Amino acid sequence: MEELRDLSTEEKLKIVTNFLLSSPPGEADEVFNDVRVLMADDPALQTGILDALREYNTEQYITVKLPGQENQVLVSKFGQIENDLYLDPKSHQAFRFDHMNRRATEVEPRPPVEETEPLRTAVEAAITNYVEDHFKDGVSSVYSTENGTITIAIVDNKYNSSNFWNGRWRSTWVVNPESGKLKGNIKVNVHYYEDGNVQLDSNKDIEVETSTTAENPAAAAAAYVRLIGKAENEYQTAVNESYIELSENTFKSLRRSLPLTRQKLDWDKILNYKIGQELSFTKIAEPGPTSNK
Amino acid sequence: MGDQIDCALDLMRRLPPQNTEDNLSQLVDLVPGLQDELLNAIDQPLKVAKCKIANKDYLMSTFNRDGDSFRSPWSNEYDPPINDGIFPSQKIRKLEVSANEAFDTYREMYYEGGTSSVYFWDNDQEQELIQSKLQSGFSGAVLFKKVGDGSRRMKGAWDSIHVFKANERGRNAHYKLTSTVMLYTITSKPELGNMNLSGSMTRQFEADYPIDDPSAHIANIGRMVEDIELKMRNLLQEVYFGKTKDIVNDLRSIKSLVESQKQADIQKELLGKLMERKS
Repeated sequence: MEELRDLSTEEKLKIVTNFLLSSPPGEADEVFNDVRVLMADDPALQTGILDALREYNTEQYITVKLPGQENQVLVSKFGQIENDLYLDPKSHQAFRFDHMNRRATEVEPRPPVEETEPLRTAVEAAITNYVEDHFKDGVSSVYSTENGTITIAIVDNKYNSSNFWNGRWRSTWVVNPESGKLKGNIKVNVHYYEDGNVQLDSNKDIEVETSTTAENPAAAAAAYVRLIGKAENEYQTAVNESYIELSENTFKSLRRSLPLTRQKLDWDKILNYKIGQELSFTKIAEPGPTSNK
Repeated sequence: MGDQIDCALDLMRRLPPQNTEDNLSQLVDLVPGLQDELLNAIDQPLKVAKCKIANKDYLMSTFNRDGDSFRSPWSNEYDPPINDGIFPSQKIRKLEVSANEAFDTYREMYYEGGTSSVYFWDNDQEQELIQSKLQSGFSGAVLFKKVGDGSRRMKGAWDSIHVFKANERGRNAHYKLTSTVMLYTITSKPELGNMNLSGSMTRQFEADYPIDDPSAHIANIGRMVEDIELKMRNLLQEVYFGKTKDIVNDLRSIKSLVESQKQADIQKELLGKLMERKS
């Protein structure tokens, strides 16, 4: 074994960052607590881990309630105004997000981008309905993004750590109103860890297109959301079918549930057969001078 | 330090089982003091090597390793060769040879390919100089690995590691078995994108069985391994994988939730009217 040397603080932070970014849905706090004890250097961790937390929270579309408000708001890089200042496009407000404690503060009004606002609002209304219709705990945000694009972010979290499972569905759709093209990405992560550790890590990139122009925002929004709904349904169907194939084919090709004989092995027979085989080999080998031994 | 090992094990139960090897090596880099404990406690996917003498594949693991060399169960030789390698006693090696043959048959019946290896060691190897002391038993590891052929755009790998301790008590032996199965599957298709479903689970089992002659050990261990592998395979397929599928469909519903709610409401109303009529 090679000699292990102590890593520098920077190297340790890199490992810890990696671990944190791999946290299953809803388990970032537990992972953070673990790495805190393992790193055993709170001052370095406090300052060094903030970038990782920011990346994790924005990539995972962590949701937060704004102070004094009931509905959930999603934190993503599309809503990032500056460092820790994020936009809630639905309520036309900006808020400061504390990535360590996942709390929102300093809510202030933020007027929308005028040119794209009619289309954005129309997409927002259509997406809100769609999310309500297909995601039990879905949260969505619709942003005006670069070059006149509209970006839709959807997240649904289900945390049930008392029964040892957590899951997250994320979809992102970037709409180009000029070309009618939609670029989507769906990510699904599930962790089931009752006396084990099983994880689903699933993702797909999708491109779809509509001929509906953006002249009528409501009609365009309806066309986009119809495409999104169809693509997401198709994706989910493919995942379900893949589960069936896994169980019918992959599992069997790796390890059969029973041998072809449909019976468990007769161990006494196997041993006797082997011993018998050895004995008969000896017998064959004995008389012949041509045999090797 | 006790706290640290608990946290390290908790962390490994949370991090993706798809990257066990990387996660473990990073964890050891982070807390070098935990190296031995972690390598003992956390199973990793097995690696295949070829025994040049027997021209047959075997599995490399902590159970047949001495320094940087690994002992082949087929030839009993270390590769690369070493002078003072650890070997099982003659009696245990004889049993090991038979066990490797028996589990090779088992492998063919259940895995239809793949690789198996069985390693035995004496329980009191450190005291082997005390010749007069009666052997009270032995320990061993039964290992299987099968890598899928990647047909139907699905790749997969199965690793199972069964570690046991056998203590002889007169005409009986007490067995303590710890079994771990690691399963890795990845499916890539245009309509699906990439789907990686992987995981590991560990179970323990204890039992007493008669040992009329030494080879009875192999049949006893064989039956235990066969039973627990069947149980774990079915658990993984039905319970673990099935559960993650349910969760996916819990996160998002293909059917309209609004429609489903409407239908549920109508049914409730109908049922209410029916009850009214009856009363």
